Amino acid sequence: MLDLLYVALTVGFFALMLAYIRGCERLGRDAGAQDERP
Amino acid sequence: MTWNGWLQILVFSGLVLAVTKPVGIYLVRVYDGSLRWLAPVERAIYRLAGVDPDENQHWTRYAAALLVFSAVSMLVTYVALRLQGHLPLNPFQRPGVVDRQAFETAASFTTNTNWQSYAGETTMSYLSQMMQLAFHNFTSAAAGVACAVALARGIARRSGTGIGNFWVDLIRGTLYLFLPASFVLALLFVQQGTIQNFAHYITATTVEGAKQVLAMGPVASQTAIKQLGTNGGGFFNANAAHPFENPTPWTNFLSVFAIFVVPAGLTWFYGRTVRNQRHGWALWAAMFVLFAGGVATTYWAEARGNPIHAARGVDVVATATNPGGNMEGKEVRFGIANSALYATVTTDASCGAVNSMHDSFTPLGGLVPLVNIQLGELIFGGVGSGLYGMIVMAVLTVFIAGLMVGRTPEYLGKKIQSREVRMAMLYVLIFPAVILVLTAASAVLPSGLAGRNNVGPHGLSEILYAFSSVTGNNGSAFAGLSGGSYYYNTLLGLGTLFGRFAMMVPMLALAGFLAERKAVPESAGTFPVTTPLFVVLLVGVIVIVGALTFFPALSLGPVVEHLLMQTGRLF
Repeated sequence: MLDLLYVALTVGFFALMLAYIRGCERLGRDAGAQDERP
Repeated sequence: MTWNGWLQILVFSGLVLAVTKPVGIYLVRVYDGSLRWLAPVERAIYRLAGVDPDENQHWTRYAAALLVFSAVSMLVTYVALRLQGHLPLNPFQRPGVVDRQAFETAASFTTNTNWQSYAGETTMSYLSQMMQLAFHNFTSAAAGVACAVALARGIARRSGTGIGNFWVDLIRGTLYLFLPASFVLALLFVQQGTIQNFAHYITATTVEGAKQVLAMGPVASQTAIKQLGTNGGGFFNANAAHPFENPTPWTNFLSVFAIFVVPAGLTWFYGRTVRNQRHGWALWAAMFVLFAGGVATTYWAEARGNPIHAARGVDVVATATNPGGNMEGKEVRFGIANSALYATVTTDASCGAVNSMHDSFTPLGGLVPLVNIQLGELIFGGVGSGLYGMIVMAVLTVFIAGLMVGRTPEYLGKKIQSREVRMAMLYVLIFPAVILVLTAASAVLPSGLAGRNNVGPHGLSEILYAFSSVTGNNGSAFAGLSGGSYYYNTLLGLGTLFGRFAMMVPMLALAGFLAERKAVPESAGTFPVTTPLFVVLLVGVIVIVGALTFFPALSLGPVVEHLLMQTGRLF
């Protein structure tokens, strides 16, 4: 049972990090658009 | 303190300087693809793994490849450790590693941390040591260097959005750098007497007539990569204090020297890649200043010893027959100078191997390793992670300097604007957030407090050191905390994961954003990044960011312990 929890924790963590990549990309794009504004 | 001790530290520093350029030249050849002597092996791996080595990846694909590789290899390690009892090369019938320790160990080795809540010689089979743990020792080190190389490429790019290919960087780093270097170092260790065998453990009779079991195993090969790859996880529980791993002064020197070899060379590699060699040396100088300050403080504090001992008549002055100072937790063979040097180097880098027990250092002596970790382990640093940590700090330094003079900051011809600063700030803030939140929780929860070996400020130092060590991917322990519980195994395992990947992603984003920026020519308003002023400012930014973040916690731990020690109180 705990094995399943630890495997789920690992998979969940890396899924979160993959979503974090998208978040950083979006944060960068928003900031880039802000920089371009006169 | 002795002249002999200072001389050894000086020789060590001189040799690190001497190898920086040759290692840097070799690193350039590894990562620009000009080294081809293992090309057939390389091609076979690409074909087998279905990798297109010519793909120039966008930073998002580079980061995703890093995460997928790490996730899969961590899960395989978890399963293999759990099933250890059914796998071969297990002459002592070691059972499967318990779930919480398997999770923590898999996370810890995947992230180049190598925090160990177990004793290797009584928990792991030879197969687990040689396949699972050693695999991560090589690949986590190569992944760290790959990320630093990707950041260097992002800064050096004049056009385009790619930062390289993660799979190629990982495989080339493993094949051309860590495998051959570890092979040579392992042979040197064996020549000096480090054991390398598959023998059964030996039962010996001591001079007092007691029975003692002497652990055997393939130690030299494990030790070589754990030092070169700044991994640090020992074959034995006593790590580099064990005479079968570190039998002579030469193995001790090679061990500590190997930690700095690749990180020092990477500064030269970086200078060459961004076509500004003097900037590479400026980063080296900033690292050296911080290293020198740390080793001098630790050596002074440990050689000075504990005033409570002196007040009770213990001779703490060094003589020809007495090392003096604080020898608790230190090997008599290595003495105070080599223990102080080792403790400083292993925490400057993200290695974590130890030849003395940091928990037994004086409060100020123990403060230095803790601060080294909390500065981000960028003083030469972990392989790759030290360089990219220092580059992030350089970006912040240039940004602050730009604010001072009221111009858009530039770093090596690239404008630093809002998106780069956001990524740099994410990188800088995640690290203390993880450490301080987990430490604060453990300082009040019964499960957290139960792990302490000492009360008062020293107990807080134990908890703070543990979470700093795992989040910084260092892995050295203060040796006082009992981390073998569901609470600590799970939280420390998670700490290693957040400390590695939650910082690598914004750093790779920074690489990608800088790659997209068009280079601008230097102008009169460009802040020079090759001068002593830049080095001073960079060191200042690192120290101030670290001090502002961690000083309150440190003042409740080692600082107050030092002050109370002066009044005769121990914890």
